[in-house]
Amino acid sequence: MAEKSWLTDFPQMARSDLLAIRKTLDGAYREFSRSYGDVIESFFDPLLRFLVWFEKLLLATPWWLVILVLAVLAWGASRSWKLVAGVVASLLLIGYFGMWQDTMRTLSIITVCTLISIGIGIPIGILMARSNRIQALVTPLLDVMQTMPAFVYLIPVVMLLGIGKVPGVIAVVIYAIPPVIRLTNLGIRLVDREVLEAATAYGASRWQRLVGVQLPLAMPNIMAGINQTIMMALAMVVIASMIGVKGLGQPVLKSITNQYFTLGLFNGLAIVALAIIFDRVSQAYARRSQKHLSRGHHD
Amino acid sequence: MKNLFRSLLLLSLGINQAMAGGTCGRVTIADMNWNSATLMANVDRFILEHGFGCDAELVPGDTMPTGTSMVEKGEPDIAPELWSNSMKEALEKGVAEKRLRIAGKSLSDGGEEGFWVPKYLVDQKPELATIDGIRKNAGMFKHPEDPDKSAFYGCPAGWNCQISAGNLFRALELDKAGFDLIDPGSGAGLAGAIAKAYERKQPWFGYYWAPTAVLGKYEMVKVDFGSGIDQKHFTDCITQENCANPHPTMYPPSLVQTVTTYRFASEAPEAWAYLQKRSFRNAQMNKLLAWMEENQADGNIAMEHFLKNDEATWSAWLSPEVKARVKAALDEL
Repeated sequence: MAEKSWLTDFPQMARSDLLAIRKTLDGAYREFSRSYGDVIESFFDPLLRFLVWFEKLLLATPWWLVILVLAVLAWGASRSWKLVAGVVASLLLIGYFGMWQDTMRTLSIITVCTLISIGIGIPIGILMARSNRIQALVTPLLDVMQTMPAFVYLIPVVMLLGIGKVPGVIAVVIYAIPPVIRLTNLGIRLVDREVLEAATAYGASRWQRLVGVQLPLAMPNIMAGINQTIMMALAMVVIASMIGVKGLGQPVLKSITNQYFTLGLFNGLAIVALAIIFDRVSQAYARRSQKHLSRGHHD
Repeated sequence: MKNLFRSLLLLSLGINQAMAGGTCGRVTIADMNWNSATLMANVDRFILEHGFGCDAELVPGDTMPTGTSMVEKGEPDIAPELWSNSMKEALEKGVAEKRLRIAGKSLSDGGEEGFWVPKYLVDQKPELATIDGIRKNAGMFKHPEDPDKSAFYGCPAGWNCQISAGNLFRALELDKAGFDLIDPGSGAGLAGAIAKAYERKQPWFGYYWAPTAVLGKYEMVKVDFGSGIDQKHFTDCITQENCANPHPTMYPPSLVQTVTTYRFASEAPEAWAYLQKRSFRNAQMNKLLAWMEENQADGNIAMEHFLKNDEATWSAWLSPEVKARVKAALDEL
């Protein structure tokens, strides 16, 4: 065999060392899951119970009631008949094509994921905006969360928590939370220094400045972040179904493996319809609630 | 560059040995893209090269393309692990037209499917090895999301086995015993669920298949349905989507064979005789696969591990002279 030289061959680690590292880490993780798995599982128990309850609620509610509630929500958020008509029509189509149950399952899990993402994301975004050090710390973490292939952390999570809803929610939230964090941070940082100074001059406390000035002014950016979060959560539906989350992802998976193109397309379109409903309603709400801000100057 | 060098080296070695060893000549072996097949391909390469003096070479393969190419083009010469059911008609035609010859079963138990429970459960409660015992103890198998139900982990969405596992689930009346058929979503999800249960010694009940690294790593017991194998009902109904009235039947083993071209079989009868004998039991293969996974081994390394550690198995496939030649080559590794 040819002589090995570091000039021609990359001086790589010996296979046995690599193996030792891998085995140690795997073993440590296995040990960790064995000793703490039950505790962690019971920590997520309330979440699981809520998820199950919410899904059952949506499934048990008669379809017309669900559509009615969603239509009322759409109206309340947007005051636009067009949007309400669009929501009702797309839901009717989804039901007509026999995807109602799966859509309700997906709706329930995505709603919970979005709420969790917003609930955790906005405070983290605010903290990031306040401190450059936190920003420097969190930003690379967000990069990892957005780019790390989901399966890399999915299977370890399955080993810890089993298959089903909770690991699904964790995977979706990990992937979907970065935009809302990033854009909350950005939005607050973009608020005019002079406006803040004025607020301080009027004697506003830090909390008052945050709630009364920074957050409202950052709202367009935060809403854009929420929108992206929703979209990414829905994009994760198929990945989540790979660890046993019921919903629209499963028929998509099934059609991928069997080349049922039409079935795949229908369920894909149902996911798109959900995404658009979520998005338009939340954006319309944001626009309406910020009208007073934009009335004076631009737009 | 290095690869080229290496293959040149191998080629020259091969030529030397072909002259020394016999009439085998150039042989191509399909190296399929899953672990058990790549292990077998590497074992065949080493033994044919060093034991029979063939100039053996691995070429990448997969069931359909390899099988078709063997029938149509007579290339590659050997498919060490062909799951025959997936291209039954083409194979039969190839054999009838004297293009192919079937050397033997590469997995003597065949591909094995079934419903499994971990061995530690059966050690505690032997009755769990039968479906009656499972039904009686349904309460043990906790459902992850619904405390009123028991969990049966089925086959991932879209796989062929989803249909058969679903039908058998109904045939065995597991739903009446309180079980819910859970879709694990993916092979990795199913394996993860087994790993989780096994690490914590929890009850688990579900579909799996062998030979696999998972069953090598986590010892499981196949649940007996007490029905025997009803091959006809299995193919006519259990594997069909709209099987109205499924009866219980065990999974019939799927045939896993070593297939060669007719040319190779007639030109190198001694080497072909080896392929007739070369076969693995599933329990053995499970262990090897688990070893491969644990050590991140590719086919070549696994081949070395197998040949060095399990001489009893492979020497039974060879005549004493050939065995001595292989052993000598092995000592040089």
